[in-house]
Amino acid sequence: MFKGLRSQRLLGLSALGWLLLNAPLLTLWDREVVLWGLPLLPLALFVGWTGLIALAAWIAEAPGEPD
Amino acid sequence: MLSVTIVVATSFAYLALLFGVAHLGDRRAREGRSLIGNAWVYTLSMGVYCTAWTYFGSIASAATSGLWFLPIYLGPTLAMLLAWTLLRKMIRIARIHRITSIADFIASRHGKSPLLAMLVTLIAVIGILPYVALQLKAVASGYALLTELPGAAAAQPLPWWRDSALYIALVLAGFTIAFGTRRLDASERHEGMVAAIALESLVKLVCFVAVGAFVAWGLFDGPADLFARAADRPELARLSSLRDLGAGFDGGSWFAMMLLAALSVIFLPRQFQVMVVENVDERHVRRATWAFPLYLLLINLFVLPIALGGLLHFGIGRENPETFVLSLPLATGHPALALAAFIGGLSAATGMIIVEVIAVSTMVCNDLLLPLQLRAGLRAARDLGGVLLGIRRGVIVAILLLGYLYYRVAGETQALISIGLISFAAVAQFAPAMLGGMYWKGGTRRAAFAGLSAGFLLWAWTLMLPSLAPAVGMPAQLVDAGPFGVAWLRPEHLLGMTGLDKLTHALFWSLSVNTALYFGVSLLGRPSARETSQALLFVDVFERTDRHSADRGPVFWRGHAELADLHRLAVRFLGADDAERLIVEYARRSGAAGPEQIVADARFVQFVETHLAGAIGSASARLMVASVVDEEALELDDVMRILDEASREAAQLRAHSHALEENARSLQRATAELSAANEALKSLDRLKDEFMSSVTHELRTPLTSIRALAELMADDPALDVAQRQHFLGLVVAETERLTRLVNEVLDMAKLESGHAEWRAAEVDLRALVQQAVQTTRELFRERGAVVEMHLPDAVPPLQADPDRLTQVLVNLLSNAAKFVPTERGHVDITLYANTEHLGVTVCDNGPGVEAAQQALVFERFRQGGDTAQRPQGTGLGLPISRRIVEHFGGRMWLHSEPGHGACFGFELPLRRDTPDQEMRP
Repeated sequence: MFKGLRSQRLLGLSALGWLLLNAPLLTLWDREVVLWGLPLLPLALFVGWTGLIALAAWIAEAPGEPD
Repeated sequence: MLSVTIVVATSFAYLALLFGVAHLGDRRAREGRSLIGNAWVYTLSMGVYCTAWTYFGSIASAATSGLWFLPIYLGPTLAMLLAWTLLRKMIRIARIHRITSIADFIASRHGKSPLLAMLVTLIAVIGILPYVALQLKAVASGYALLTELPGAAAAQPLPWWRDSALYIALVLAGFTIAFGTRRLDASERHEGMVAAIALESLVKLVCFVAVGAFVAWGLFDGPADLFARAADRPELARLSSLRDLGAGFDGGSWFAMMLLAALSVIFLPRQFQVMVVENVDERHVRRATWAFPLYLLLINLFVLPIALGGLLHFGIGRENPETFVLSLPLATGHPALALAAFIGGLSAATGMIIVEVIAVSTMVCNDLLLPLQLRAGLRAARDLGGVLLGIRRGVIVAILLLGYLYYRVAGETQALISIGLISFAAVAQFAPAMLGGMYWKGGTRRAAFAGLSAGFLLWAWTLMLPSLAPAVGMPAQLVDAGPFGVAWLRPEHLLGMTGLDKLTHALFWSLSVNTALYFGVSLLGRPSARETSQALLFVDVFERTDRHSADRGPVFWRGHAELADLHRLAVRFLGADDAERLIVEYARRSGAAGPEQIVADARFVQFVETHLAGAIGSASARLMVASVVDEEALELDDVMRILDEASREAAQLRAHSHALEENARSLQRATAELSAANEALKSLDRLKDEFMSSVTHELRTPLTSIRALAELMADDPALDVAQRQHFLGLVVAETERLTRLVNEVLDMAKLESGHAEWRAAEVDLRALVQQAVQTTRELFRERGAVVEMHLPDAVPPLQADPDRLTQVLVNLLSNAAKFVPTERGHVDITLYANTEHLGVTVCDNGPGVEAAQQALVFERFRQGGDTAQRPQGTGLGLPISRRIVEHFGGRMWLHSEPGHGACFGFELPLRRDTPDQEMRP
């Protein structure tokens, strides 16, 4: 169903994303903390989102593996 | 406030620009120089996901409920991570079967059912109406804000003939027609439209980010300042958190919205159009996997800052947050920026409308109206191209007018986002039939029909009805108390369910019933032969096709067909030119001598049907082909048998081509090896010639002098004894030189041919150095030179041939002795050890070696120095030494600056990983 290392890595990344960006893990960031002048929760959401994209880029653009 | 003229003129100029880009894109496509054959353009065209909802609605959502605008973009991000698996499969299937809409996809998978295609089309049309209305509402209110005096009382709804939204709808209908239905393309691809959409995506991103940057850094002192000021007011501070909203964080709703958006980004008709139908190369999906989420992230970066900035600037509840992106620049005296923001919003709305309406009009035409007309007797008509275009244009106008109607009826009272979510929930109903159909072979037509209708009805009841009810004057009691007071039928509390918000409630019921019916009904029945054959072709598409092939795999058809009938059919629906081109192409590929020689077998029938499907949808194509051929109904057993044969054939073909490839590769390897060997032989031959000529030259010099001396003595018997003795001494010396030369040549030859004999023993290099210095002591004494040894106390032992190493050391020392100046000579010999190597350097204070000569000294017969003052020697000592050192895995080098002496050195590894085969005990 999901052949190829690239597909499987991206599948794993997606699963990780569902976990990180949902309750209950998301609520861990919901604190009254200010970092570089920015509230923690929006910052954490955007940073986590960027991290997912960066990892996806790394996996998707890696040369070699056909799928 | 801006003048109406400026706003309207700018908007039209922008639309004209888009049209120009589209025109260029179409022209380039016809010339074969595609403008969109690029992963970045593909990614940008997906940006059509971000509509006026994103542009205006997200900010309103952020202004009232904080971070809750985000799941709509996080869901698609996570869905895109699966694109390489899921989307690529959809693209491959759509290309092989020439599928041009999501209705066609679902219908084709479930046995090419016309009824199913109609149902999906109906859901799509009704489902997207609210979404079209949303765009109209956004553009109309943006236009009103820009052109009305600030603070003007919110006007009463205008009569329809004065309503700007109606004219916007009509203008957009005109543009959509111009973009999408100028000509009939057999594959439903619109390259020009995609180019324009990619540009629109860029424009809306840039405009939105520009406003965001203006708010963050222009109105405030950076984001930190903005958030700090918001934090001072509790009613704004709560927007940066999820905790304080009501009773804690509603994780279920958050998840439901993410799931909804994840499904929508794949199954919305416009997304299907740009991601699947308009895809030119499935490898582009790799870039889009991360770049499209990045686009979503960028366009969301400033949503919260703009919302907070607007609330701080205007105060809470004064201005409509949906238009902050316009009112903030306008209120602070930046009308140009406001106009740019309006153009960005217009971009977002027009992009969505153009693609969505084109996609839906294709569906309505191919999957709803055409089958009905074909049944009603349109079969007699000759050329259908014009009819099809006419239908599509009518459908486009109708959809936009229906969208306007929804806007008039229900749009004015609702927020943009809640309208959009209604559409999302409708297209989410496609998910079970799509996903189940692509990954599970058991799904049947009945099951898809049951699941989709139930899901759609539940959606209409639980979500659409409550949103329309107040507007159309239905009694509120219907929603609050249930029809006829039946409480368990209450649309927002089905079976009395409470605790879920409206959307999650609707999504839960519609999707779970839909999914349960799809799988349940499939499992209760048995799939027919046609359902099974289509299931096999869809689910195993990657096993049966590759990226390039157009028609591989089994053909599930049996019967009798005439070439002329099929040809006539193709001409009717594709036009004479396209039909001719296709048939010639097929003849070329199938190896027939000409178009007339084509055998009308199952594969040809399938070929014609597939191409018809591209133009009129798979269900209609099936119907038309069936009407001109004699076909036998297939049983499930036949399907299995055909499949078996096909996979056997494919396996044979694969094995055959694999063997061929392997042969070709080994042939190539052998050729390369041969030519390399040939090169090596040639260069050896050249070396041998050079070597021979050098050797004979070197032999001739001593021979000449021996012969001259011997002749002198033979010619003059009266030569006195002392003279004769001197001559004889010279002869002996020259003979010795000759012997040495011959020995060295032999030695060199043995080394080079690999026949040299090597002894292996434990060698103490320190002792060898001392011994070599002892041996050459006399040489240095004669020249009045001093040898200084720099030796460590002990060095690790080495596995090597001690005689050969002595030969190297003596050679380097005698070399040095030859070149040092008389009476002032000084030679340093140094032994050193590091963890991996033992090394020896021999440095003299002679004239040194010029840079140009340095590389040559290790070559045979190239002695250092110019020929005139060249000392005694054969010119083979250094080459032999280097050979010996290299044999033991070491290396030899020369460092020298002319005038400052020369330094020869060599290094031997302490441990040799790969013992040389020549090393014999």
